[in-house]
Amino acid sequence: MMETAWIIPLFPLLSFLILLLFGKRLKESSAVVGILLTLASLVYSVLVLFERFSAPTFKTEAVWLTIGDIHLTAGFEVNQLNALMLVIVSLVSCLVHTYSKGYMHGDERFHVFYAYLGLFTFAMLGLVLSPNLLQTYIFWELVGVGSFLLIGFYFYKEEAKQAAKKAFIMTRIGDVGLLIGMILLFWQTNSFEYDNIFKAVADGSVTQGWITLTAILIFIGAMGKSGQFPLHTWLPDAMEGPTPVSALIHAATMVAAGVYLVAALFPLFAASQTALMTVAVIGGFTAIFAASIGLVQTDIKRVLAYSTVSQLGYMMLALGSGGYVAGVFHLMTHAFFKALLFLAAGSVIHAAHTQDIEEMGGLWKKLRLTGPLFLIGTLAISGVPLLSGFFSKDEILAAAWEGGHPVLFLLAVVAAFFTAFYMFRLFFMVFTGEARSEMKSVHESPSTMTLPMIVLGVLAVVSGYVNTTWFGSFLGDWLTDGNKVLSGSHTEGPAWIMVVATLVSLAGIFLAWLMYGKRSLSRDWLSGKGSTLHTILYNKYYVDEFYQMSIIKIVKGISYFLRFIDVFLVEGIVKGVGGAVQGLGKTGSKLQTGQVQTYGAMAFVGLAVLVVIFALTGGYLK
Amino acid sequence: MSTIPASAFLSLALILFCIGLYGALTKRNTVIVLISIELMLNAVNINLVTFSKYGIKPSITGQIFALFAITVAAAEAAVGLAILIALYRNRRTINIDEMDSMKN
Amino acid sequence: MTFSGEFFAFMSLALVAVIGGVLLLNLTKVMHMIIALVFTFISIAGIYVLLSAEFVAVVQILIYAGAITILMLFAIMLTKHDDASEAQGTIWRKLLLLLGVIGFAFAVYIGIYNFNVEQLPSHLHENNVLQIGKALYTKHVIPFELTSVLLLVALVGAIILAKNDEKEAHKE
Repeated sequence: MMETAWIIPLFPLLSFLILLLFGKRLKESSAVVGILLTLASLVYSVLVLFERFSAPTFKTEAVWLTIGDIHLTAGFEVNQLNALMLVIVSLVSCLVHTYSKGYMHGDERFHVFYAYLGLFTFAMLGLVLSPNLLQTYIFWELVGVGSFLLIGFYFYKEEAKQAAKKAFIMTRIGDVGLLIGMILLFWQTNSFEYDNIFKAVADGSVTQGWITLTAILIFIGAMGKSGQFPLHTWLPDAMEGPTPVSALIHAATMVAAGVYLVAALFPLFAASQTALMTVAVIGGFTAIFAASIGLVQTDIKRVLAYSTVSQLGYMMLALGSGGYVAGVFHLMTHAFFKALLFLAAGSVIHAAHTQDIEEMGGLWKKLRLTGPLFLIGTLAISGVPLLSGFFSKDEILAAAWEGGHPVLFLLAVVAAFFTAFYMFRLFFMVFTGEARSEMKSVHESPSTMTLPMIVLGVLAVVSGYVNTTWFGSFLGDWLTDGNKVLSGSHTEGPAWIMVVATLVSLAGIFLAWLMYGKRSLSRDWLSGKGSTLHTILYNKYYVDEFYQMSIIKIVKGISYFLRFIDVFLVEGIVKGVGGAVQGLGKTGSKLQTGQVQTYGAMAFVGLAVLVVIFALTGGYLK
Repeated sequence: MSTIPASAFLSLALILFCIGLYGALTKRNTVIVLISIELMLNAVNINLVTFSKYGIKPSITGQIFALFAITVAAAEAAVGLAILIALYRNRRTINIDEMDSMKN
Repeated sequence: MTFSGEFFAFMSLALVAVIGGVLLLNLTKVMHMIIALVFTFISIAGIYVLLSAEFVAVVQILIYAGAITILMLFAIMLTKHDDASEAQGTIWRKLLLLLGVIGFAFAVYIGIYNFNVEQLPSHLHENNVLQIGKALYTKHVIPFELTSVLLLVALVGAIILAKNDEKEAHKE
């Protein structure tokens, strides 16, 4: 099975090609093609994962390019992390394919949507199978293309167009860092291979300074993809895309690619304390920063988007604190419960035809299935005990504590409190209270949409039990098995951390209940319109405005200057040459009067000039 | 033997040629243009006759040439005027600057 | 250079010829221009006499002063000739041409001024017509006959060109 793992990404590629060629004829049945082929990927991935439990890492490569003595290879690798990622990606992708059948029903570009989904899934699966940085980079960019196409799916909407461009450009800024880091690593180690790089790092043939520099540059790439501060602003805007896309790309898979990259290159990061610290600080800051913005947003998808940014920050914080297992574990659980939340939100939007939570309310009774599923997701993300989020978050807090950064630990705890608060604020505002008049006609979504949610709901509950303090840390042991650098990264924190985490999340839930559920506490101190704090948070700390004022102004200035050069200098020369020739032609054609006398006069004057020159110079031109 | 140098005759021919040339290139009336061309031919004839007498080897051939030139000039004048009449019949003008059918 | 009678004759003839040419350029009426040119042609005939070419002089008077001038007068009278106005915007062209002509004259004059060939005694004036006749019918007989053909062609061509087409005349 593992020897033929390369076939997994080819199923979605096949789906993409089929839909590209025959999509117009297949119409709505293109969903069947997409679902079946991604289901094939899923089955294959699961089989590979189970085989990987007993077999060692499989890796195969073929020489692709030869430059002098250096051989660039292409191939694939199935290690623990890759096998896990394969399952996560193909599972979420398969569920989203299924969900979209109901959600996108009636869209005239239905088949195009499925084609794009196939392309994205192919790229993402290819990314997680890559054994070297070069291949990773190729798929990394392909993933970006898929994301761009899907965000801009409703390209006739101006916001969607802008969001697609923004996502592409912002992630590209990060990609430049990744590319530079990659090239520097290649320069230092003469290889793009992960294994060779780790070997070079381990035996000290790369100096500490280079390790730190390349690690941070690669982390910049991860920041762009995973929406870490300060490159996070594209992710909330990417919510302009269809909701299943948000679930697939901007919650479960692509944004996790950054975390995956840091995890895949963890030995490199682990070799530099500075790099780890950078990852941790950026992650921790992003976690609380995005969570605080999420407190006041009123768009259901934007709240979830900021929650995603915040959770990704969490994962980065875990990785930066040396908690490799914690980061990957949370990546997995987060993929499940965040995808669930997005799909449930999509179901809500599908039913209520609005994204503004201020306009919603009382949907619990209307959406008998979506409501409880949303509640499960909310409980999971808030870290309520016995659900998946609780175990992974606990692991992260333990890692942060063990990592020895009390400030970061504190940040993580506060962020957990915020998370619980804003998630339940969302829940209470949408599902409880009084139903608005226009919410009378809402109805439950079709079964193609609820089925994936149920699957994810189950996973959101149980996926945490693969790695718990009580029943053994199976996942952690497996992930770190046979890897010296990682073996120390899985520790169990003191028991009080678990208590603290539980108390904090319960406190957040209780506060949210007081304010939005029971309404016994005034909302005005936080979300009352007009207060300074609220304004700042509502405008997302004015980061976009800051970019607008600073970077964009500068770039625009340079652009104007270059445009000026282009218009007046380059174009001037071009137009000057053209105009001169044209003028010459016009003058020439004016001379063509058709009168013999004029021709004779011209010929004679020319002759006279020649004769005069001849007479004056004596026939020799000196 | 003559007391007048050859250059005097040649200068006269030159002056007449230049007058004819200027007239041929500036006058609007086609008849006058034709006449100017006749004047230029006359200037050439003066040169021919001059060289027949003052040339390195004086000979009657120069005068014969002049006679031929006069004959051709007469024929040219006749045909030229015939063309002019035909043109005038069609275009109702003999102004040379209105004869620009070569342009289109 | 002495003031011989020959020189005086040359000077007066040359003066009349040049004045006639200048009048051709400056007179406004077409008829007057042609009359002025007759004087030039007759003066040139005189010049020919000075150059010991009596026969050419006679032919000059016959053909130029007689035939061609009369032909031109007929052409003038057959066409519209009262329009003597000059075309607009030709001042610059005239100036340019004047400069060109003066430059041309200057250049050629440099060549003429230094023209100095040793004068050999010639016998052209003795029995001029006889000499011409001999040369024409012996040495130059083929060009002579060709000239007759040329004249015939010109005659026929001129008649065909100038003939008023019957059909066109009916149309008008």
